Amino acid sequence: MAWLAPLLLAAPLAGVACALLGRSAWTPRVLLAAAAVELAAAVALVARVLAAGPFTAANGWLHADALSALLAAAIAGVTLPCAWYGTHYMAYVVRRDDTDARWAPGRYEAILLALLACMLLAVSANNLGLMWIAIEGGTLASALLVGYYRRPGAVEAAWKYLVLASVGIALALLATVLLYYSAGRVFGEGGRALQWTQLRDAARALDPRFVKLAFLFALAGYGAKAGLAPMHSWLPDAYSQAPTPVAAIMSTALLATSLSALLRFFAVTAGCTGAAWPGGLFAIFGALSIVLAVPFLLVQGEYKRLLAYSSIEHAGLVTLAIGFGTPLAIFGGLLHLFVQSFAKSLAFLLAGTLGRGAHSRRMDHFGGVLEASPALGTLLVVAGIGLVGLPPAGTFVSEWLSLAGGFASRHGTAARLALVALVVVFLGLAFHWSRMVLGRPREGFADPLPRGSHAPLWALAGAVLVLGVFLPGPVRSLIEQASKVVRP
Amino acid sequence: MNFPLPDWLPRSNTVNLLAGAFLLSALYAAAQRRLLAAVTAYRWNSVALGLLAATVALATGARHIAVAAALVFAGKAFAIPALLARAARRGEGDTVDEPFMGVPAAMLACGALVVVAFSQTRALFGEGETILASCLPVSVAATLVGLFVMVSRRRALMQVIGLVIVENAIFLAAVSLTFGMPLVVEMGVLLDLLAGVALLGLFVGRIEETQGDSDTTRLRTLKG
Repeated sequence: MAWLAPLLLAAPLAGVACALLGRSAWTPRVLLAAAAVELAAAVALVARVLAAGPFTAANGWLHADALSALLAAAIAGVTLPCAWYGTHYMAYVVRRDDTDARWAPGRYEAILLALLACMLLAVSANNLGLMWIAIEGGTLASALLVGYYRRPGAVEAAWKYLVLASVGIALALLATVLLYYSAGRVFGEGGRALQWTQLRDAARALDPRFVKLAFLFALAGYGAKAGLAPMHSWLPDAYSQAPTPVAAIMSTALLATSLSALLRFFAVTAGCTGAAWPGGLFAIFGALSIVLAVPFLLVQGEYKRLLAYSSIEHAGLVTLAIGFGTPLAIFGGLLHLFVQSFAKSLAFLLAGTLGRGAHSRRMDHFGGVLEASPALGTLLVVAGIGLVGLPPAGTFVSEWLSLAGGFASRHGTAARLALVALVVVFLGLAFHWSRMVLGRPREGFADPLPRGSHAPLWALAGAVLVLGVFLPGPVRSLIEQASKVVRP
Repeated sequence: MNFPLPDWLPRSNTVNLLAGAFLLSALYAAAQRRLLAAVTAYRWNSVALGLLAATVALATGARHIAVAAALVFAGKAFAIPALLARAARRGEGDTVDEPFMGVPAAMLACGALVVVAFSQTRALFGEGETILASCLPVSVAATLVGLFVMVSRRRALMQVIGLVIVENAIFLAAVSLTFGMPLVVEMGVLLDLLAGVALLGLFVGRIEETQGDSDTTRLRTLKG
């Protein structure tokens, strides 16, 4: 418990503090301090899990294994730079006195911290009911943030997100009930029948028909939250209308949270029915998401919507890799989930600077970024190679491992299809990026934010590039252990 | 392929009657064109659910279901309908929703959904003499009716009513399948649900504020 307490308590306490502080110079500082504490706590948790293995705490309600530690590190690792950039960005938004941002001071920080707390609770919950509660709480917090601006587009996006995510989460609740029912017949009534560790160990004894039904509902429900096609229609709207730091967190940390719920259901189902059945479904929905995102990526005009479709593609790739089922592919998929978080959040945060600087959301208005600002241009290039998976970005390694593992699996066709799709995505993004990075700068384009806003971006870019050439030993063994959690 | 049903709790006339009231109130909501009437239908839906949970609690003597039943009364039969009614009155008032489908056709569609739900649940779970045999088909049918309300209505608030009916139906499945989940989980689920409805009500207000009415078919500005 001592290892999880700082991870689970820092964000909610700081959130209450932010709500009380209101308009104060300290509010953003409290947010940053809490995010930094969470990162430190996540790193400590990683060290603990690597040194002493998984452990259960709080009477079986919480559980930390390699998968939880990996995801906690990813969540905290992207939330800190996003919140850091956000202090500059949101200060700019408020200072410009946008007519559409009329929130009470401190509320943005408080809700962001509530979202962070829900995500960290979701990945470290052992009880599937508790995990559901945390994910639903995260949905509500993020929907409020999507509706931050009161313009019609933002209201529409928040409404769509809230309604679709609520239906999805209701289906996920049904999945939880069904799993609880099939486990109740083995363990009897009581909290134990909802504990993931118990379900995993007794998976063989569960009734396969109810487990299959539960997995289908979980795939539809949590899959809708992760943005898997065809339940993805809310996603481009929500990501493009949310304030930039929020969109960056949603497309990385919140995505990882939803996928982690899917992975927990996958592990139980694979233990009960064998991995071929849930793996096949993962492969189908993963491949569908990748293929469906491709045309929208090619013809897209808006930068943030482009990133949203790229997010669908990446979620599809992770799901597909887990579906392949070979150890190499699962390792690649989890590594991709980790690395793409840094690349995608970097790309989203740049949307804030570029969009505010060019007074437009459209990519054809962003021309000549490299000439206008060499630093921003370099960062944009790093984000681009991170998104398409070119060396030396870390996503190159993870995509390569995922597909290499896929060719060795039963789903070779899906792997070939994904490879073709990735090549087409590369061509499309290369076109978009060459127009944004090169050429003559647009008149009047200037970086609207202070220089300090570049520091978190460089940190993310550094993570993307370093992970491409050097995978530190602890990260590697953590992902190896997490693959064993997904597929023992 | 028939699955033997657990013989925990025999079905009784009380359970049958309450399950029937649950389904009928869901259908009544689907037939309503006035917002406040649909909110009332949802209130009766929740009352039937709460009474069912109380019946299960009496029959099994499990205290956590009794608490869950009380929470259902407080949350679903009072707090959520009150929130919905307030949102309805604050906005355009008790207006008439123009559904995509006339009421007779909608009733016919809902009838078909109920038939499908009953026959398919029977095919999967078989006949039985327990509470499951009464409640599970009703739960599946009400889920489908709630989803039908969500897709066949224009007004934002009407879609919320469809959503809370779906959630009631899933709660019914939880009560009849497992006699309720652990109490802490039930409380968390209800709290989340309450917050979710409050939030949906907030956004209904925002939609009315930005476009003058709450016709969701006009929420079509974001594309591609």
